[in-house]
This record gives sequence, C-alpha cells and structure tokens, in this order.
Amino acid sequence: MTADPQYAHLTPLLEEYAGLDAGDPRRERLREQLVTGYLPVAQHIARRFNHRGEPLDDLVQVATVGLINAIDRFDPGKGGEFFSFAVPTISGEVRRHFRDQSWSMRVPRRLKDMHVSINGAVSELSQTLGRAPRPSEIADHLDLPVSEVLEGLEAAEAYRSSSLDEMLSSEDGSATVGELVGDADAELDRVDYRESLRPLLAELAPRERTIVMLRFFGNRTQTQIAGEVGISQMHVSRLLAQTLSRLRNRLDPDDRSF
Amino acid sequence: MIRPDTPDRTKGLASVAQEDVAGTVHGAGTDNTVEIRTAARPALIPTVRAVASDLAARADFDLDAISDLRMAVDEACATLVAMAAPGASLRCTFAVGDERIDVAARVETGTGAQLPTDSFGWRVLQTLADQVAVETGEEDGGRPALTIRLHKLAGHGL
Repeated sequence: MTADPQYAHLTPLLEEYAGLDAGDPRRERLREQLVTGYLPVAQHIARRFNHRGEPLDDLVQVATVGLINAIDRFDPGKGGEFFSFAVPTISGEVRRHFRDQSWSMRVPRRLKDMHVSINGAVSELSQTLGRAPRPSEIADHLDLPVSEVLEGLEAAEAYRSSSLDEMLSSEDGSATVGELVGDADAELDRVDYRESLRPLLAELAPRERTIVMLRFFGNRTQTQIAGEVGISQMHVSRLLAQTLSRLRNRLDPDDRSF
Repeated sequence: MIRPDTPDRTKGLASVAQEDVAGTVHGAGTDNTVEIRTAARPALIPTVRAVASDLAARADFDLDAISDLRMAVDEACATLVAMAAPGASLRCTFAVGDERIDVAARVETGTGAQLPTDSFGWRVLQTLADQVAVETGEEDGGRPALTIRLHKLAGHGL
C-alpha cells in the first residue's frame, strides 16, 4: 500500500511522535491526532473481516487497538512506510481476536486459524456459486486437503455464537429483509398449527425471529438468509439450531420436564 | 418424563455400528449404512445429530444441506424421544447413498401413539428434509413403535 495523500500530513507527526520521550506531555495529544487520522485504515481492515460472526463494532475496536500498537511501535528511523507496518499489525490484532475471543472450548490455534479461512472461503464461494459450497469446493479454494477442511468444519461447532444482542447491521438492506419477512408472515397466517406459534415467535429477539421466519415460512436457504441478513452461513446455522431448540422447549413444556 | 432408576438412564451410552448392508438403501447407489442405538433420552440426541452431520460432511454435502440434515435429525429424535415408552431405545439408521442420505429414526411408544402432522415441528421437518414421512408399526417384540423416515439430498438445485 502506498501513501495516500489523505494521510500525507500525518507522516511528520509520526516522526515527531517517535522522537518524543515516553514521559513527554505532548505525546498524548499527538497520539490522539494520529489515531483519529489513521482511523479509516483500521475501519477498512475491520470491514474486511465483517460477516464472519463477530459484530462489526467489536472488530473496529480491536482494529483500533491494533492501530494504536502500530503507532506506538513504528520506528521511522528504520525506514519504510507506516502503512506496510500498520496494515499487518492491525490485521494481526483482528485475527487474534477471532482466534481468542470466540471459542467455547479449547481448540488448537491451527484450527482456529483455519476457521477464519474457511469462513472467508464460504462467503466468497457462496457469492460466486450462488449456493452453499461443499467441503471439496472449500478445500479446492483454500488449496487444502478435504480432510483438513472437514476437521475445521467440525471445530466450527465449538465456535461460540456471538452475543444475542448482536444487532442486524443496518447498512445491509434491512428494508429488503423487512419485505421478505412480510411475505413469510403472510405464509404463517395461512397455516393453522395445533400450537399457537405467534406469541412464541414474538418473544424471540428480532434477528432470531427474522431467521426462523425466512427459513420456515419464507422458503429461503441458510445461505440466502446469510446474504440477506448480513451474517455468515455458519452463524445462521447456529442461530437457527439454538432458536429451534428454544422454541421446541416452549411449545411443549409439559412433556419436556426432563 | 422423569423416570429415575430405569436401566437405560444409567447405561446411557450410544452404540455405533457401521457395516455394509446390501439392499437396504432406498434408491441409492453404494450401500453404506450406519446405525446408532441409544436410550431414548434427550441427553443422547446431540451424539446422534453429530453423527448425522459428520456423515453428510464426509459425503460432501453442501454446508446448507449438512446443517439442515443435522437439525432435521435433532427435530425428529426430539419428537420421538418425547413420545417414547419408559425404558425405550431410539434407533437411527443412516443410509449414505449417492448424493443423498436416508434416515430412519424409530422409538418404541405406548399403545396408540400418533405423531401430529399439523405441528410446527412437522413443518420444520418438512422444510429441512427433502422428504419426510411417519410410520406406525410394531417392534419385533410386538411393542408399538413410531418411525420417522426422511431423506436429504446433497445440495440445492443440483
């Protein structure tokens, strides 16, 4: 990445910052200016990791931590561009976040890294194929043996589902999702169940309800829902399974007092 | 449904048998059948659905189909276990064929057990599986039993 004119004015500040003693009172203000100035870089990198099951806000925060580290550690005296130092530092911080923050059980680091690659491959392949990929297709795409992809997919089951309050990202065409749910709602009205489903659906968090409605009354595949709601297919899969099991327990409370 | 001290609750382990069974696979090419029998208890369903998902992944089903099959098996087993007679076992057979997996989940029930098909659970099964049906019948010992048969194809619109 070459220096963008947008950031040209920051280069002298970087040099000044690096030249100051650790206790210098001017450091604080300079650092703030640098972080604010380079923030779009961190945001850009955070967005590259979006739709992989972690909230964008968290990713931006983590990327900003990476940016601060990069600013603190950059040594202009050694030569080289700030960008070629900052970009890997920031991406590294985001990758570490995926690796460390999101696992419900101990999973080897190799598999955590693979989970990030697989999720990226799934999202790319779904776009080009227009459907969910098969393990063999993921393996081809990543140039890995199928056996390793299978191992990675299995490990994905240990991936913590993101917090339930993770919101629908508003930038991803919520209007369309709204329309789709409207159609699904009409379909729900046409079916008469022995249980009264509506009050239970109403208790669900908005995103969980959207996903259930689209899958079971809107005739959408998980991959289509992933694209429409703006989260990964694996995330849709986890949320659907959790929501179904919650609904099942609520629908049939008398028989399920195990 | 709490039945303390029935033998099945203390045993509780899944037995997995893998064998080649010729001629038992519906409309499928190679015969490759996996059968699991567990006590009919909710706590053992995760084991059964993990087998379903593993078989589908190894058969190179697409990720949607793998996840659908996993949830369908979960739903079918949960439905059956809720209707199981005391001490009953749950038997699941997975016939892995060419581009499809046929599942039969079966449990012994009390007399006259019927599976409602106007439930949300049935809708879930119909959506997740490519085809689903329920059979009433008798176990070998003459006890009444319910079987849910479903199959899942390896991918959408192939």
